[in-house]
Amino acid sequence: MEIIFDKVTKNYGPINVFRDFDLKINQGDFIFITGPSGSGKSTLIKLILNQIKPNGGDIMVDGQAINKLKNKNEIDKIRRKIGVIFQDFQLINDLTIEENIALNLDIVKYPHSEVAPRIDKVVKMVKLQHRHFLFPSQLSGGELQRACLARALSIEPEVILADEPTGNLDPTNAWNLIKILQNINKKYKTTIIMTTHNTDFTESLDKKIIKLGKNENENT
Amino acid sequence: MRILRLTLHHIRRSPFQSLIAFLTVFVSFFIINSFIFINRGLSNVLNYFETKPEITIFLKDGLDQAAVESIQGELATYPDIKEIRYISKEKALSLYKDINKDNPLLTEMVTASILPASFEVSTYNPKVLEVIAQNFSAKNDVVDEIIYQKDVIQSLLSWTLVVRRSGIALISLFISISFVMILTLIGMKITNRKEEIKISRLLGASKFYVKRPFLMEGVIYGLIGSFFGFILSYVLIYNFRSPLNVFFQPIVFIPEISLFEPILLAAEILIGVLIGLSASWFGARRYIKW
Repeated sequence: MEIIFDKVTKNYGPINVFRDFDLKINQGDFIFITGPSGSGKSTLIKLILNQIKPNGGDIMVDGQAINKLKNKNEIDKIRRKIGVIFQDFQLINDLTIEENIALNLDIVKYPHSEVAPRIDKVVKMVKLQHRHFLFPSQLSGGELQRACLARALSIEPEVILADEPTGNLDPTNAWNLIKILQNINKKYKTTIIMTTHNTDFTESLDKKIIKLGKNENENT
Repeated sequence: MRILRLTLHHIRRSPFQSLIAFLTVFVSFFIINSFIFINRGLSNVLNYFETKPEITIFLKDGLDQAAVESIQGELATYPDIKEIRYISKEKALSLYKDINKDNPLLTEMVTASILPASFEVSTYNPKVLEVIAQNFSAKNDVVDEIIYQKDVIQSLLSWTLVVRRSGIALISLFISISFVMILTLIGMKITNRKEEIKISRLLGASKFYVKRPFLMEGVIYGLIGSFFGFILSYVLIYNFRSPLNVFFQPIVFIPEISLFEPILLAAEILIGVLIGLSASWFGARRYIKW
């Protein structure tokens, strides 16, 4: 799945975050989006998901200008191909981790008979095999982040959007998460778009880096 | 299956709200069904009188045999006469004693002389009764009083109409209450689960997908509420079947169980489901904006 930002402008009232911003992400890319707080990292993720609309320009996802799609079903279809790891987890609190993953699998219409084995596989992948029956409130920050990753991986997405996934993790867990994402990227050619503050990763890994600035003139 | 599990999960997560929705539908259908049974009984009463066109002509005291025979002869000249029965004073006393046999106080003081003789006339055509009543009410020298079924029927009809109209008003009121209650509760539940809906939408769930558990919830309230409302009213009414039927003898106020009850149950369940579905649909449409 190819993602293209074509002269995208985004304002929050008088604050300009992007102005004529261009970006092309190819299938299989692993990209770090870095920048200080308020530079537009999360905005970029929200724009890809069509959670917010740009003030100008187009965001092409899978060949379609997602911001101009009138048919909501088309937007839902695109979202079903994207796995998201939210900064604030966005897990449903009164469902267990297993149920949260099952819900996502149900949304993407994953074959019913394959749901249980798929959950087993992803919880093992993120090392939550003994915790998946617990509720989000019973897990630590690191475990929640891994639960989010498990949910994103479960649907075998074409793209993973990870919004500050290591923000709540200790260095060991953070590196483990990065390793998992790297493996997924290598093995399945899944596009990974990860926002982060952490310069250790960006400096240590040989990946594409998009640096966003505090000033909109830098985000062009 | 998953949708049903999710719906039951929603119901369990807010048990008191769910209980209120269920009770509202339950009470509504209990009242609706009770009215249907009462109305059915009243229809039976009305039908009994309507299908028995009869007039009773009470005669003045002191008429001789020739005068009585002359009246009988005149009655026989009318068309569509089914039966003319002469009830003499003695026969009237015997009927009175038979009716009040369990109450000797009422029978002790009464003699044949104080009861009037009468003619009971039944016809195949109720219009003939009207003509007889009109003609004989003018014969003040021989006729004391005329009791005409039409008066009874009209009185019953007006009462039945009042009951039916009140019933329809109450049914409409309770259906509206159930509808608004489910709509409001679904709205509250949607507001409570706003985050869950937002997350599901971000994961690619369609609007219909996130609405489905709420629609199903409305259907469950309608289904269970109408079913149990019917069952309770049915059990109560059939518990009082014998005394009611004795009271209305010879009319059968509550008949034996027939095909009517299962058809009524199916119809009420269908109506309950439609109320639940439409209320939750409006609720979901109104409150799910994401």
